[in-house]
Amino acid sequence: MSAPLPLSPLRSASSSTLTEPRWIRGTIIALAVLFLILLIVLPLVLVFSQAFSRGFAAYLRALVEPEAQAAIRLTILVAGISVGLNLVFGLIAAWAIAKFDFPGKTMLISLVDLPFSVSPVISGLVFVLLFGGQGYFGPWLQSHDIQILFATPGIVLATTFVTFPFVVRALIPLMQEQGTSEEEAAISLGASGLATFFRVTLPNIKWGVLYGVLLCNARAMGEFGAVAVVSGHIRGETNTMPLLVEILYNEYQFMAAFAVASLLALLALITLAAKAILERHLDPNID
Amino acid sequence: MAIEVKNIVKKFGSFAALDGVDLKVADGELLALLGPSGSGKTTLLRIIAGLDWPDAGEVKFDGQDALARGAGERNVGFVFQHYALFRHMSVFENVAFGLRVQPRKIRKTEAQIRARVKELLDLVQLDWLAERYPSQLSGGQRQRIALARALAIEPRILLLDEPFGALDAKVRKELRQWLRTLHEEIHVTSIFVTHDQEEALEVANRVVVMDKGKIEQIGTPGDVYDNPASAFVHGFIGESIVLPVDVQGGQVKLGHKLLNVEAGNAVGPSNLFVRRHDMQIGAVGEGSLEGTVRRVRTFGPIQRADIALSGNDTLVEIDAPRDRPLTAGDAVSLQPRRYRIFAAS
Repeated sequence: MSAPLPLSPLRSASSSTLTEPRWIRGTIIALAVLFLILLIVLPLVLVFSQAFSRGFAAYLRALVEPEAQAAIRLTILVAGISVGLNLVFGLIAAWAIAKFDFPGKTMLISLVDLPFSVSPVISGLVFVLLFGGQGYFGPWLQSHDIQILFATPGIVLATTFVTFPFVVRALIPLMQEQGTSEEEAAISLGASGLATFFRVTLPNIKWGVLYGVLLCNARAMGEFGAVAVVSGHIRGETNTMPLLVEILYNEYQFMAAFAVASLLALLALITLAAKAILERHLDPNID
Repeated sequence: MAIEVKNIVKKFGSFAALDGVDLKVADGELLALLGPSGSGKTTLLRIIAGLDWPDAGEVKFDGQDALARGAGERNVGFVFQHYALFRHMSVFENVAFGLRVQPRKIRKTEAQIRARVKELLDLVQLDWLAERYPSQLSGGQRQRIALARALAIEPRILLLDEPFGALDAKVRKELRQWLRTLHEEIHVTSIFVTHDQEEALEVANRVVVMDKGKIEQIGTPGDVYDNPASAFVHGFIGESIVLPVDVQGGQVKLGHKLLNVEAGNAVGPSNLFVRRHDMQIGAVGEGSLEGTVRRVRTFGPIQRADIALSGNDTLVEIDAPRDRPLTAGDAVSLQPRRYRIFAAS
């Protein structure tokens, strides 16, 4: 009964009964394309055209400004540390959730998702409440001369918090689908827990890990809300690229703002391309 | 290596997967754990391997406590139902894995490892697949590679979970034969789990029949087939005709009809179990049951007939030799030749 119906004799019939008339199809497609151009292509083109509005030399000058350089360095540093931390914690969390059964597992999965459901501004405020001058640890930190808020550690903490779910979320379904029998086989062949993880578990999820890291990195570099709250906007010190874009824009330095923004847009395009390549590897039908 | 399992209990929540299991396996045996799904046979196998831990009981290898050691220290080769080959490694690396992860002190040199893997691939007759990946192999080939991988560590015990479960009938039959031959060659104590009675009877030296977390019977294939210890075993191994009877004062009655069979120990409502080929068919008056032939199929040396018992709606299926041809409509008599009566539970 479930055998596929012969297509050719039915095709003409189905095209008239199962699909809309040509003009409706045309209108819907045109609307979709219009939306795509208006909301995605146009802004992207605008970013680059504004960035290059005074020529390539001016564009480069805007990017080698000390402030821009500091923002780029800080963004890369923060993203590097955050992605590194989330890679380690994400791997551990996904491994525990996907390969073991323990009480409170559902609770842990919800907790992992928390940063996605909380507004980034709130995420930033949490750290102000914890480490700010009036916060819980504020006085102690001050008396020991440790600066967390309005400094790199605070930005790293906020970014790490906001981007935590990416690696875990990329890995849990993959690891659950793969099950535990390969690990059991490795253990029964005499491999230690660590050897099993590095020789069996990790190679099986390497594309998933890369995928998670990629998305995590894109978000870490682009994070605005949480970082804006904890950074303190100290020029040349605690401004990341998204913050600098805002500052430059508010100061009517449109060309410079778009020049920095163009780097973030470029990052988005590279991420998109890399994502498409990785998804081919993650597709079980291809790999 | 001899295995001794004592009073093993394993619960998953409130469900008792194993409920007090005792088993002794002699060195060099090829033993089958046979039972329906949910009978606890795989759980028992995993506990022996160290992949699961019992809630109570003992497991001893040659008299030594095996539960004190983890799975990796028990020197047990385990072949998984779905093979569990390492998908990112070539066949060669899969087989070499157990040798490569050995502690540095006893690890073989690269040349020794290569020689050993080659030897194992020859043993399973798949040396030409060394560079392939698991996804490029057929089911039967994967199964043999899984076996070679398990044998690489020179296990003292070989455990196989439904080794032929996922294979088609023909490959299955070949691999069964092959496993028997292999066991004769390497003679390692082996236990395999199966739900297929034919497989258990054909391959194993001894069969352990399990149901609902308990062992129902342990014996040679001939034993469990000819002398089933319980109604469950009779019904599970080989197909049986089951007739509800009533036993009073040594007399066995089907409805109002007195049967000419021995009651044994049974009293009260019971079930009479007869193998299809143990039902003697004769002319009316020769046996204590009478009926009419409804349908006859002939294949090979036997004819299989559906017979409706008179005075009763029961339809029984019997196997008779072809020397006395039956046709639909014949009135015949039936007499159980070999049978067992178990009290109805």
